[in-house]
Amino acid sequence: MIQLYNVHKRYDNGVIALGDVTLRVREGEMVFLTGPSGAGKSTLIRLLLCMERASDGQILIGGRNIHALRDDSVPFLRRNFGVVFQDFRLIGRRSVRENVAIGMEILGLPGKDIERRTAQLLESLGIGYRADALPRDLSGGEAQRVAIARALVNEPAILLCDEPTGNLDPKLSREIVDLLSEVNRRGTTVLVATHDAALIEHYGCRTLTLEGGRLTEDRPRRDATGLEASGLGASAVATADAAAPASGDAFPEAP
Amino acid sequence: MNPIARGLYFVGAALRLMRGSPWLNVVSVLTIAVSLSLCGLFAMAFFNAHTLIRDLGASLTIQVYLADETAPERVHDIEARLRGHEGVRSVRSLSREADRERNRKLLDPALLEGLDEEAIPGQPVLELELDSALASRGDLERMVQWARQIETVESVEDVAFGAERLRLLFAVLEIVQSVGVVLSGVLLASAIFFVFSTVRLAIWSRRDEIEILALMGATRRFIRSPFLIEGALQGLLGAAVAIVAVGLLHLELEGLVRDVYLLNVQPSLLPPGMVMWLLVGGPALGLLASGLSLGRHLRV
Repeated sequence: MIQLYNVHKRYDNGVIALGDVTLRVREGEMVFLTGPSGAGKSTLIRLLLCMERASDGQILIGGRNIHALRDDSVPFLRRNFGVVFQDFRLIGRRSVRENVAIGMEILGLPGKDIERRTAQLLESLGIGYRADALPRDLSGGEAQRVAIARALVNEPAILLCDEPTGNLDPKLSREIVDLLSEVNRRGTTVLVATHDAALIEHYGCRTLTLEGGRLTEDRPRRDATGLEASGLGASAVATADAAAPASGDAFPEAP
Repeated sequence: MNPIARGLYFVGAALRLMRGSPWLNVVSVLTIAVSLSLCGLFAMAFFNAHTLIRDLGASLTIQVYLADETAPERVHDIEARLRGHEGVRSVRSLSREADRERNRKLLDPALLEGLDEEAIPGQPVLELELDSALASRGDLERMVQWARQIETVESVEDVAFGAERLRLLFAVLEIVQSVGVVLSGVLLASAIFFVFSTVRLAIWSRRDEIEILALMGATRRFIRSPFLIEGALQGLLGAAVAIVAVGLLHLELEGLVRDVYLLNVQPSLLPPGMVMWLLVGGPALGLLASGLSLGRHLRV
């Protein structure tokens, strides 16, 4: 679903945000991306969203090389993603209902469908009773649920979360990650950037660690017994390396 | 969402933008209205002066007075030479008797009582009617020069050419045109600046929303449309205010033009063509300004 091959990101001031990162996230996986501040977690998410372009290397989303993507095609790539941020980024002057509806307005769906789907989603996330509230009247947990609802409203293939629990207490953080796990169980690929070690330990998902812009560890998911599950994780880096193409769109899918 | 619903969605979004900074929008609309009003007034002044010149030009004649003893062959010769000149529509030859008869009709009959026939002025005259296509002051001056040359022709005693009023009108027209172009340019530039600033402020105040829209897959057109429509709506409102203002002002001026300046001309009130121009020009001005502002300040 997400493949990075020798990705570099250098800024004009000489700072190297990412250096030679190769990784693969398969369809339906839930992966934590961790590391200290400035490790490159947010940069990686920005590259996936084409908010910035990689200086070098190849990035594939669903088998499509986004390095060669034209600017006017970027919006259509982004429709494959739902995005959740630490600071929620809800639009202050719009109600909860309107914040969630934006994604469907962008797609030009009929008003009745937008209304029905928004109501359904807010109910399923337990915030239907706040539909008419403005973001400033929401608690942190409610605001993040609205942000998740907004991210999910168009049923994206991939959910990217950049420190989604950064502004929440431990109990609310668990609730939010439980929610993300539920989303993942329904088939959405979920990538969560976080530096909350306790959370990572608790959920035992596959964890990619970035330090100084380099991928230093790829820890596989633990199964229910607490043992590392096979088939994913560290081996994926090596597999990806072996399969790395020279250029173009014709990347082989993961075995 | 069908195209109409889509369009209405963008208009709604534009109205929300306008509600976000109402005072700035009012200033922009008024600036556009003032600019378009003054442009409209200059255009109307120009249009009316042009109509007046055309009407005067159509009635303009040159009277070439010949010496009494001029032989008929010589009259025909001069007439033939004048007829072939550029800008001359027709030449009418009047004998001394015909000219005297015409003058008699111009005089008060009471004055003519007991007057000797020979006392009424009369001499052979060639009367030239000119083309109304005196497009510029240059055309008129060339005609005046030519009239002076006719005076030097043998057998010609005098030439009368009532070009003074037309010359004055051309001078007025030139001033109206020059001042109008400069002032309209300045005013339109200031209107563009105000709309540009309004849209810039709207972009700045909505930057969080714009970023979210872009991240959720909104196209450039989806993000830009409400801002463009905001500019166009400002222009449309400004044009509507301008049409009303110019209309009212002209109703006031209509009598003044006739009564004070004694011009026997019906001034043209806001012609439909100009209303159309204002209704198209206003939104076009707003679109141009918001487009410039988006190009400069919106990065998605």
